Amino acid sequence: MKAAVLLSVILLSASAARAVELPDDQADRMKRWKDLSQQVFGDKKLENGAKFIAIDAPDRAMDAALVPVGVKISGKTGVKALYLLVDDNPVPLAAHFTFGPAADPKEMKIRIRLEQYTYIHAVVEGGDGKLYQAARFVKAAGGCSAPAGPQDEALKGLGQMKLQTMATYIPGKTMEVQLHIRHPNFNGMQMDQVTRYYTPARFINEAEVSYDGQQVFHFEGGISMSSDPAITFGFKPKEKGELTVVAQDSKETVFEHVFPIPQTEAVTQ
Amino acid sequence: MKAVLVAAVLAASVPEPSGYWTGPNQGDTPDTVAGATVIHTALLAKLIRRERPVLIDVSPAPPPPPELPAGTVWMAPPHRDIPGSVWLQEAGKGDLPPEAEDFYRATLERLTHGSKAHAVVLYCHPKCWLSWNAAKRAVSFGYQQVYWYPDGIEGWQGAGKPVAAAEALQPG
Repeated sequence: MKAAVLLSVILLSASAARAVELPDDQADRMKRWKDLSQQVFGDKKLENGAKFIAIDAPDRAMDAALVPVGVKISGKTGVKALYLLVDDNPVPLAAHFTFGPAADPKEMKIRIRLEQYTYIHAVVEGGDGKLYQAARFVKAAGGCSAPAGPQDEALKGLGQMKLQTMATYIPGKTMEVQLHIRHPNFNGMQMDQVTRYYTPARFINEAEVSYDGQQVFHFEGGISMSSDPAITFGFKPKEKGELTVVAQDSKETVFEHVFPIPQTEAVTQ
Repeated sequence: MKAVLVAAVLAASVPEPSGYWTGPNQGDTPDTVAGATVIHTALLAKLIRRERPVLIDVSPAPPPPPELPAGTVWMAPPHRDIPGSVWLQEAGKGDLPPEAEDFYRATLERLTHGSKAHAVVLYCHPKCWLSWNAAKRAVSFGYQQVYWYPDGIEGWQGAGKPVAAAEALQPG
């Protein structure tokens, strides 16, 4: 019974966004989401958030190791956190953002790996403390096991950061920026085609982004994030200020960069 | 443009190795397997409807869980393949140990009810040598109707055909 209700919620949320071709094994997929959400959120109820959460992703991705996914949250104030989960990846939790006072969490974009055709779930923690979910089915396969190339090559320039502003600074308006961190984000499932060994996992698992001493967001990431993690987010810059990024990978190497914002063009440090 | 053309020509001309392929599982494969028939999605769907062939998925075992920070939620993903298939993770290996070869032979015998005339289909993923090896091996066992489906699970699924979760069949 419960599964049937869940199923209809997801079906509704999928059809509300647009007519999406649904997979044939719905029941199995619903069961996996139930198990997964139980592991991540415990017994906390997940409300239907399809009305205000929109997941933007290609129905069929060109490159399964680099699938752009965006989440738009509209008409909901005081958003505390956002979770992005890839149901059928072995480590489904791709990203968990908790937002600080300097954030404008209306839209977040990341790039992820997809191992097989899967539902992607976005779960938003609202200002009311409740959890809201939305889902989207994406067709792509093989993104987790796609070879990463030679290890030493991939580790060149580790932790270098780039910040791209998507628009010019307008006082009082939200500015969208994209943060790039150079990092292979080895997921431990990429086989070196020559040695036949799996390259050990090493990936960005945390980042703290702040603007002039105020938190924008805290990011926790898993191996579902693509290599060279990219996060697009919004915040309201002042006339002069600094965006600070402190990131750490799973080998506890810390990378820190400061970007003066506003800036007239993209700055590389 | 020229490079693309050259690459296409090279890709099309991978020769059949004399023995089994022992290089990387993933890569350009030959267009043929001596003694077997190459089949693509539309004809495979028809074959499944008409002849109920033995479907063997020889996708390798998924990688073991990597070392991850404590508390990471790891959930082994389902393996989905063509409904009704038997998943044999070893059968396509280039250097197959004799006991694994015996298991493959015995499994085929059981599934074909001992009839060498029964149609057998081998597949894994696109650009996967394992199914090529497994098809060649089935030919060597004496099967007269061996089909190699190089488009693999992703080709099947990409054509809008259904897949179902499968458990690997292990010896013993």
